[in-house]
Amino acid sequence: MRKENSADKRKWNSNPNTWIMLLTVVCVAATLVMAVYVLWFYRSSSHEETEQAVYDKYYMMITEDNKSSIWRSIYQGASKQALEENVYVDWLGDDLFQGYSVEDQMQIAVAAGVDGIIVTANEDERMTELVNIAAEEEIPVVTLYGDNTQSARCSFVGIGSYNLGHEYGRLALQIIREKLAGQSVTYALQEEDEEQGIEVHFEEIKIGSAERPVRVAVMVNSYAQGLDQNILCSGIQETIEQEREENLAIEMELLSVDDTNAFSVEESIRDIFMEKDIPDIIICLNELNTTCVYQAVVDYNKVGQVNILGYYDSDTIINAIDRGVIYATVAIDTEQMGKFCINALQEYHELGYTSQYFTADIRLIRKDNVEEYLEKGDLADESDE
Amino acid sequence: MRAMSKRRSVSLQFKISSIYILTNLLVMIVNIILLVGINNMSGRLDMVYQDNLHLNKLLDALGVVQDNMTDYLNAKTTDSLEDYYRSEQDYRTMVADLNEQITGVPFDRMERNIRNMSGYYLEEVGQTIEAKRGRNVEKYRIHYEKATQMYEYTAAYITNLNLEKFRSNSERYSDLLKRFKLFESTSLIAILLVMASNVCIIIRFVGTIISPLKKLAGSANEVAKGNFDIDLLPVESEDEVGVVTGAFNSMVVSISRYIERIRESMEAERALKERELLMEGHLKDARLKYLQAQINPHFLFNTLNAGAQLAMMEGADRTYEYVQKVAQFYRYNMKKSEETVTIADEIEMVDSYIYILNVRFAGDIHYEKHIDRSLLAVEMPGMILQPIVENCVNHGIHEMGGEGMISLSLYHKEGKVCISVKDNGVGMSEETIRKVMSGTYREENMAAGSNGIGMDNVISRMRLFTGSEDVMVIKSDGKDKGTEVCLYLFMKDAQSGMSAQDLDETQMADKMLGEG
Repeated sequence: MRKENSADKRKWNSNPNTWIMLLTVVCVAATLVMAVYVLWFYRSSSHEETEQAVYDKYYMMITEDNKSSIWRSIYQGASKQALEENVYVDWLGDDLFQGYSVEDQMQIAVAAGVDGIIVTANEDERMTELVNIAAEEEIPVVTLYGDNTQSARCSFVGIGSYNLGHEYGRLALQIIREKLAGQSVTYALQEEDEEQGIEVHFEEIKIGSAERPVRVAVMVNSYAQGLDQNILCSGIQETIEQEREENLAIEMELLSVDDTNAFSVEESIRDIFMEKDIPDIIICLNELNTTCVYQAVVDYNKVGQVNILGYYDSDTIINAIDRGVIYATVAIDTEQMGKFCINALQEYHELGYTSQYFTADIRLIRKDNVEEYLEKGDLADESDE
Repeated sequence: MRAMSKRRSVSLQFKISSIYILTNLLVMIVNIILLVGINNMSGRLDMVYQDNLHLNKLLDALGVVQDNMTDYLNAKTTDSLEDYYRSEQDYRTMVADLNEQITGVPFDRMERNIRNMSGYYLEEVGQTIEAKRGRNVEKYRIHYEKATQMYEYTAAYITNLNLEKFRSNSERYSDLLKRFKLFESTSLIAILLVMASNVCIIIRFVGTIISPLKKLAGSANEVAKGNFDIDLLPVESEDEVGVVTGAFNSMVVSISRYIERIRESMEAERALKERELLMEGHLKDARLKYLQAQINPHFLFNTLNAGAQLAMMEGADRTYEYVQKVAQFYRYNMKKSEETVTIADEIEMVDSYIYILNVRFAGDIHYEKHIDRSLLAVEMPGMILQPIVENCVNHGIHEMGGEGMISLSLYHKEGKVCISVKDNGVGMSEETIRKVMSGTYREENMAAGSNGIGMDNVISRMRLFTGSEDVMVIKSDGKDKGTEVCLYLFMKDAQSGMSAQDLDETQMADKMLGEG
């Protein structure tokens, strides 16, 4: 070993010039490589601003709020479709102008000279006026989810409210048949007797009988009227009336939820659960209400006692269905809705007219088909990551 | 090959300068690259919040338009109207810079919206002003409200864009800062690398320049220690070091040659000195012996001269001649005490000596000469022939008892000058000859009249003079057959030839001998 070393040493020592020459070459090469790297380094960093695609048209989407995943989903659908058509869609309330109302945002959009507006409208006069102003500026307006029939909007994209109501009605009847039929409620009745004082009777009353009809509550927002709640409610009512068994007593009621303030929805839903008579079935007509009711049922330990019919297929809702807290939910094909919006605007630009109504598909998600949505959700999560 | 020789012939100055230039160039290039990079980066850092500044100005300009409109509505002065028009124009110019394309970048679309909204707003303002000027109160109120609302929306939009841009720019700023930091560390590494490569290059080049110098220094040290037996250094390049190496090589060669030469000449000088010393020693020895043996020659010489004059005055010619010869003999002894004499001198001495002997011993010695006169001027040590002749007379002829015969010959033999002295005496045995030649023979008792110079002294001086061992040969054919002593001298050119006077003297001597 030692010998070898000394032999090596001798070899090196015998020709130090070769060694130094080698080192010189290596160092010079390294320096040049370094220099090239440095050049490349700032050359590449100076070219980071790449050319961006230029789009033909620019649409703007305006929604009531920008928190619910339903809007995000619709926007994504619209955006996807728009990019295919070389159009760009901005969601005005996405991260700017959070304090601005839909009407304000409409004015901004009109002033910004966009090529088309997608707005969640209502039947308000002010809205009609704004839509008409936009039409005057030759900006086509598509109403989304909520319509403004009086205005000069070019098209409406939404859900058939009556059909939705019909679905809800049938679901409510299903719940009654599956769960509530045969259930009875024990009431303690107090009778005042002069002799014996207060007497307490226990009476078992069947749910659905005339004394104790099934209570079905439809939760409506008192301020914002996204869906055509009236049509929807009548759809529910009509379905129940038509399809219920004759001896089944069903009592429909509207639960008005205060949505005027920022966090009032949750508060007013809690208030409902504080009351004595809690409905057997609660039908929620938007995502937030569904989530709040679901949380309240869990918190007040009313699982099994209160049946929820939800709206939209957010992950929370899907999970709740999987656990059996929410009986079923109605999922709208949001991507389809977004796509319809873009198609309507494009068509209007091309032809000058377009179909007045676009109706998005709805799907029912229940315990028996929740699996596939769970998987989808998981997949979606993964793809998000 | 040409390139090679070209490379070899570059000067040291050029080499060293090019190393400096090369390394500095490397440093400079890298520094320039880094500087450009830093400049670029800081420039972009400066530009980050440019958008926000622009938007702030836009917002201010919008406010000015609104204020001016309100002022005009309030007071309806021409000044405020002018102000309004000016500010409106300013605002329009600024708005014109905004993007109007629909792109995927949110800011671009927002700018487009602001641009359109501003147009919308300005139109409302214009209508308001028009209505005011037309004193249409109802109309301008409506337009004013609309304009104010649009102002609020536009301002809000600009503020929003500003905020968004600020957020994005802040991110970009921190990103740029990160890049800047990265660039810093990269630069540091680059500089370190350059340093390392420069060190390597310098070591490499200086090594190549210094290594022949090192070799030169090593060789010079060796030479300084006195070792001239070193290998000549190879001349690797034709720069100054190469020149010095070449010069050193030839210097080493010349020095060693010179030293060799000095050594040789010193050797020769030493030998010469040694010989001279020896010769001097022998001569002194001879003289001492002579002085011991003889009476004061000066006194004798003067006495004899007086005798000769007396004889001449009395008319005794033969006496006069005899005394004259004796005087000549002693004069020679005295005068020719110098080291070197000519053969002629020596022969004259022998002549005188034999004359004296013949007078003394009543002419019983016959003397004959065979002289090559051209050789008479050849030099030889003095007091050589006389002792030989003396030996011939004392040992050869006197012991024989009969009529003696001495023959002197001078001749050429194989490029040497040969002086032969031959007698017809008793001769010498081989052993005696050997003893005489080797110098071990000693006479027990010196014969009377001998000047005391022995054969060994003669031989030694002859050897020292010629530098050769073979200077004398003694030949004898046996008892009563005589002895011949031959002396050998080297002939020199300058010594050939002889003056006429010398010749005459010799002839005269011959005559005298004949008369005697």
